[in-house]
Amino acid sequence: MNRKIVKNGNTVSLSGRFTVKDLKNVTRVLGTSSAQSITVDFSNCQSLDTSIAVRIWSIAKAAEASGNTFKLTGMNRDTELIFDRFKAIDKWPAPPVKALTVLYNFEDIGDKVLATWRTMYGLAAFSGKVFKALFSGKIRGSITAYYMEQSGVMAIPIIVTLNWLMGVVLGYQAGYQMSQFGGELFMPALLAYSICWEIAPMMTAVLVAGRSGSAFAAEIGTMKVRQEIDALEVMGFNIYGYIVTPKMIALFAVMPLLITAANFAGMAGGLAAGGMFLKMPAVVYIAEVKKAIIPFDLYWGVIKGFFYSTIISITGSYMGMRVRGGPASVGRATTSAVVVSIFLVILVDALLSLLFIHIRPGLTL
Amino acid sequence: MRDKIIQVESLTGGYDGKVVLKNVTMEAVRGEVLVIVGRSGCGKSTTINYMLGLQKPYSGKIFFDGVDIWSSPEALISARRRWGVLFQSGALLGNYTVVENVMLPLKEFTSLTRAEMRDVAMSKLELVGMAHAANENSLEISGGMQKRAGLARAMALDPEILFFDEPSAGLDPVTSAELDNTILSVNRSLGTTLIIVTHELYSIFAISDRVIMLDPEAQGIIASGTARDLADHSEDPRVRSFFGGKIGE
Repeated sequence: MNRKIVKNGNTVSLSGRFTVKDLKNVTRVLGTSSAQSITVDFSNCQSLDTSIAVRIWSIAKAAEASGNTFKLTGMNRDTELIFDRFKAIDKWPAPPVKALTVLYNFEDIGDKVLATWRTMYGLAAFSGKVFKALFSGKIRGSITAYYMEQSGVMAIPIIVTLNWLMGVVLGYQAGYQMSQFGGELFMPALLAYSICWEIAPMMTAVLVAGRSGSAFAAEIGTMKVRQEIDALEVMGFNIYGYIVTPKMIALFAVMPLLITAANFAGMAGGLAAGGMFLKMPAVVYIAEVKKAIIPFDLYWGVIKGFFYSTIISITGSYMGMRVRGGPASVGRATTSAVVVSIFLVILVDALLSLLFIHIRPGLTL
Repeated sequence: MRDKIIQVESLTGGYDGKVVLKNVTMEAVRGEVLVIVGRSGCGKSTTINYMLGLQKPYSGKIFFDGVDIWSSPEALISARRRWGVLFQSGALLGNYTVVENVMLPLKEFTSLTRAEMRDVAMSKLELVGMAHAANENSLEISGGMQKRAGLARAMALDPEILFFDEPSAGLDPVTSAELDNTILSVNRSLGTTLIIVTHELYSIFAISDRVIMLDPEAQGIIASGTARDLADHSEDPRVRSFFGGKIGE
């Protein structure tokens, strides 16, 4: 059926059936009228859909707000019902809109600070419960072995490869700079120090946080969504002991080994860089490394590993436990687990570095 | 007169400060099948969560066998070891097979050998008609089977009370009726007290000894009695509307 919208003086007549396709036309005729009194006549209008009705309704409200008269006449029962519903929704309050003022920005900063504080407080309280479970609960061998495999054995290829590449890059960069003034012989020592003290533990921690921390958060988060955690809790399980401590013990076991592997991979990378770019014989490189580092340098990575294991396992598990609602929350938990873990790893690394220079034999400020 | 196994006294609670239940008092006696019904959002699942100690009430107390479950952490732990729960989804652990799921509480709380645990688990699976799927991965079975397996796990330690949160949700009528029969046989053969949240009318009539009806506006109980009484004799329009007037005729 043909639709027609006819403007005759201050009266606009609609005839036919109007749908969303006529929105532009209706807006053009009604919205551009500057008359102080407009009457919309629906006598010949068989029907109109909600999109057309809401546009007429908003034009009418705008006209009334600026003191003009806007009348709707000749509506059939169905059309009248649509407009009645619009009248009915006016009584409900509009959603609160936060004004983008300076105060709002301060409030926003305050909210974020409080949220961060609550996260850190929650993390500390959660850590307490986990350690209590760790020291009072039993060790679940098979579950722990599963996480050792997932977080340790499966991570070896990526950790060794990346640390070897870091060794190559650092060896080449350091060797190139030092060769400018004939100091390339110092490259092995510099590289061994960097790798053992910082690069290998840090790279390993970042990779484990990315691989295992996120996996812990996703796994526990999904268990929360599927009510598995609730089920374990009401069965009387200590969920900290059952869910978190196996992950923690597994990381305690594998992290020092991964860092040790990363140390050797990094130094092997330096050996390759020395051979390729500086024509340094392997025996010379190895002899220089042996002269430079002491066993403490290797143990240091192991010590750091225990701290990083604690951070990654607890943060990942805590973020998973905070999941509420649906799958989107699991995604957020995974992201938070990685970001917070890496932040805390770097923070603790900075503190440990301060300690390191005071306790390493042969190092003076 | 049978003794009260669980009592809720003047319970007020909800989520994020919003009150869903106000001053609710109810109890279940040993061996009965108590069904909690009501419209969506009336607080049925919330009531169960409070009874299970998954949430701490804003005010009020929950007694299990005469002991306030929040009086000490030990009271809650000891109560939990004497009850079982079947959640809406079955809540089976995804990394395990069906029989391993049923063995979980046995591994944690008993000193049975692995072979004995397997026998106990298989007997529970037999009871719920799931023995044939014992070695299937728990996530690779149908929703109805997951619920049956969840029920077997909930019964692993022979609980005195079993809670069900919408056991029929998402099931076809035939599977739902089969699950109702299984639930009822647990009550009849083992004498286990059952507390069931549902809004399936067929289930309410089929399995309940007593029905408690909650209402979102009232934020609490608006009716209590047998399903037949509520359906046939209640004067409350909300109750009549829920039971549809002609159910059970």
